[in-house]
Amino acid sequence: MAYRSRIVGPLLVALFGTAWTTPGTAQTLVLEHGADLGGVWTNSNPPGAGPWTIYSFSEDPPPLTEWGQTRFEASKPQRGPRGVPVAETDDLVYRCFPPGTPRIYLHPFPMEIVQTPGRVLIVYEYDHLVRQIYTDGRDHRTDLAPSWMGDSTGHWEGGTLVVETVNFNDRTWLDRRGVPHSDQLRLTERIRINEDGLLQIDMRMEDPVALREPWIAQRFYRKTDWSIQELMCMDNVTYRPFEDAVLEFEAE
Amino acid sequence: MRRLVGVVAVTGVLALLTPLASAHHGAGIFDAETSVTYSGTVTDFQYVNPHVLVYIAVSNADGSTIHVAGELTSPNRLSRMSGEVAWHRDVLKPGDEVTMTGHPARNGAPAVDITRLVNADGVALIGG
Repeated sequence: MAYRSRIVGPLLVALFGTAWTTPGTAQTLVLEHGADLGGVWTNSNPPGAGPWTIYSFSEDPPPLTEWGQTRFEASKPQRGPRGVPVAETDDLVYRCFPPGTPRIYLHPFPMEIVQTPGRVLIVYEYDHLVRQIYTDGRDHRTDLAPSWMGDSTGHWEGGTLVVETVNFNDRTWLDRRGVPHSDQLRLTERIRINEDGLLQIDMRMEDPVALREPWIAQRFYRKTDWSIQELMCMDNVTYRPFEDAVLEFEAE
Repeated sequence: MRRLVGVVAVTGVLALLTPLASAHHGAGIFDAETSVTYSGTVTDFQYVNPHVLVYIAVSNADGSTIHVAGELTSPNRLSRMSGEVAWHRDVLKPGDEVTMTGHPARNGAPAVDITRLVNADGVALIGG
């Protein structure tokens, strides 16, 4: 066994990362991962965070290209300073299309991170969306149709999971305020447990078509003992009658 | 009004976004600057996603009755509230007497975005 610990341990660490501990322990699934990010996490905005944190990644929109600005001004978001009633918004989320990545982080429901060999899964409670982040060294697929949530691959840099996501369609917005993106969007997320014990996601959104410069953002999450519950956006189809009835009300 | 009361509806993704009862409707069909309070009898309680709805019948001094629809956030979020009140599907039932406070609809419709809800035992289920 001494031989095993002296040789196999460091070898595994060298091959797969730094979280290797003792064979046969609960750490087995973490062998190839740089840290244990597993668990159910919920939004934890910093104290004093502005009201914009519920609809965007920064107080002001990022600098947009002419292409981006034109689309931004044409958008009719339901949230933010330019918010319109649901009946008038062109935000596809109100028709139950996926919010996309990274906007999914602006929907205040928990997410569960599950680490398995070769993959990290992020299971979002909101509409049961799942991202599969391949950590087995594969490249992005180039044969797939443009997607709502993107094609994600990841690798570990110490205890930080670095995720690159591409192959988006251009139908979602980057936030809930109507900031557009193109199918050239490239998202880099650096996900780690920070010094406060929070899950910290540092994001870099690059899109030469829509953004004049990369949009840098951060989100924070605290760990909970919750379980992911059912939350079907299609329940939304019964929502509109309620608001419509309110809006159409006429005093008798 | 009858139409509103007749719509036994669930509200939408709006509630998925904000803390509890505040500002579900971002563009403001409810007036967040003002508040109204109704006391009445629960006629319907829908513990469903994405919005929980509470319908009450309120008796006026002149003998007439109005029906008021109150809206809360999702049951997922309510079920995770910390504190002494545990939200669940039977936390209210038709016939219960409640006092409901909330932001009224801007256009005068008998609907509120609930900020405080007190049951017959004086327990604040929301806004305690």
